[in-house]
Amino acid sequence: MSQTALLGQRAIRESLRTPEALLPTLFIPLFFLVVNVGQAGKIFPSDSTPFLKGQGYAAFQLPSSLLLAASFGSAALYLVEDIEGGYFDKLRAAPVSRTALVLGRLAAEAVKTLAITVVMVAIALPFGITIASGPLGFLLLLALTASWGVVYSGFMQVIALKTRSAAATNSGSLVFFPLLFLTPNFVPRDMLTRPMEIAATFNPVTYIMEGMRSLILEDFNWAAIGRGFAVVAVSGLVMVILNVRLIRRYD
Amino acid sequence: MTLAVEASQLVKHYSGRGGVVEAVRGVDLRVSAGEVFGFLGPNGAGKSTTVRMLTTLMTITSGSAPVAGVDVATEPDAARRKIGVALQEAGLDPRQTGRELLVLQARLFGSSHAKALERAGELLELVDLVEAADRRIKGYSGGMKRRLDLASALVHEPEVLFLDEPTTGLDPASRLTVWDELRRINERGTTIFLTTQYLEEADQLCERLAIIDDGRIVSEGTPTQLKSELRQRRSLDHEPTLDEVFLDLTGRTRERVAGDVQEVQA
Repeated sequence: MSQTALLGQRAIRESLRTPEALLPTLFIPLFFLVVNVGQAGKIFPSDSTPFLKGQGYAAFQLPSSLLLAASFGSAALYLVEDIEGGYFDKLRAAPVSRTALVLGRLAAEAVKTLAITVVMVAIALPFGITIASGPLGFLLLLALTASWGVVYSGFMQVIALKTRSAAATNSGSLVFFPLLFLTPNFVPRDMLTRPMEIAATFNPVTYIMEGMRSLILEDFNWAAIGRGFAVVAVSGLVMVILNVRLIRRYD
Repeated sequence: MTLAVEASQLVKHYSGRGGVVEAVRGVDLRVSAGEVFGFLGPNGAGKSTTVRMLTTLMTITSGSAPVAGVDVATEPDAARRKIGVALQEAGLDPRQTGRELLVLQARLFGSSHAKALERAGELLELVDLVEAADRRIKGYSGGMKRRLDLASALVHEPEVLFLDEPTTGLDPASRLTVWDELRRINERGTTIFLTTQYLEEADQLCERLAIIDDGRIVSEGTPTQLKSELRQRRSLDHEPTLDEVFLDLTGRTRERVAGDVQEVQA
């Protein structure tokens, strides 16, 4: 088994043995979903709101919650724990590929995000949310969400490797909030005010959200899906390169 | 004589906020295969930095350092296969069990799952942790953690074992247990490179010592040689202790030591 898989397995075991850290990842995004739908659902009735394409407002909001669930970056928090506790040095003193040291955790993050997405969608289905693009669309939704989980964890791992500080790494998760709110979070992009529209257009999270939203609300809109995957592919590549560079220079 | 460690003019400079810090300033070390070598020095003298360079954990500013015949700077992966490392902090994952940790470590060194399990069993027996093997490490005592850390440094049967203050923070009984284990490991042919602040530990375990101060080696020899040298040089009428040798060589008075290096007691 490759070193990445071995280290990934260990990271998954670590998460499973820390359910208290896993629960907020599920609970907080569901809380946001319930609150946002509760506050704005009446403004956007499904029968007179064209952008909902016949579904309820919860279907429109689900991508925000999935993105939030994927943006806790717990892989980086465990990494900084390894650094502070000395286990990271133990791994570095072994003939382990430096790339595997960062990819193992990121692979585990992908698996964890997949599982959380499945649970969140399963919870959402009884409330009238359907995945309009069908089973294949659901798989694409899982892949897109999990890929974003890897990107964001990669970003937080960069902070962890650079600062070696739990406090600094923790604060990295807060960066996601401005990114989330500078998106077409409550209404489509063309309904935002001009300044917000410009901000959303420059925000990469917008394209991932729109890709996910298209998979939930309509049949395959390949342009939106493609943009979403392109953003995670490019940002994922950048994060992996930064991670590998930092770990190779780690002194 | 085969050399297990052969450091020549080892230098480490850091860029700190106040400018360049010269942590190690041209260290030469020769450690024979099969030896227990002690590396002593006050806090901040450059002990840990030297160990981190010799174990591939830190880049070398200049100089060369073949360990077990492999240059740690140019062939780090090959060197890692020949060395075992247990640093000051017992580097363990508290969420794994002792057995899981050893199996993972063995697998990272290339063992199959079956071989890794077998090796983990052997090591758990060696460090007397069989009963605690399947408990999570977070519940282990300090001594148990230290012994498991030692075991994890031995999964691949290294030629040279680097131990950075392996007994710091342990109670006297646990310290004696670790000493016994180190003697057993050395009897099996493993070279041991040990840093410590406990001079009694160095006296008990080490065949030869080097004392580092301010990034430079200030003396090297067997404990007996170092004591005799001080006795002759100072015309002492008693056999000095290693503590006195240490204080003399590092230019520290006991009063200063009490403030600087709490661990060193006369």
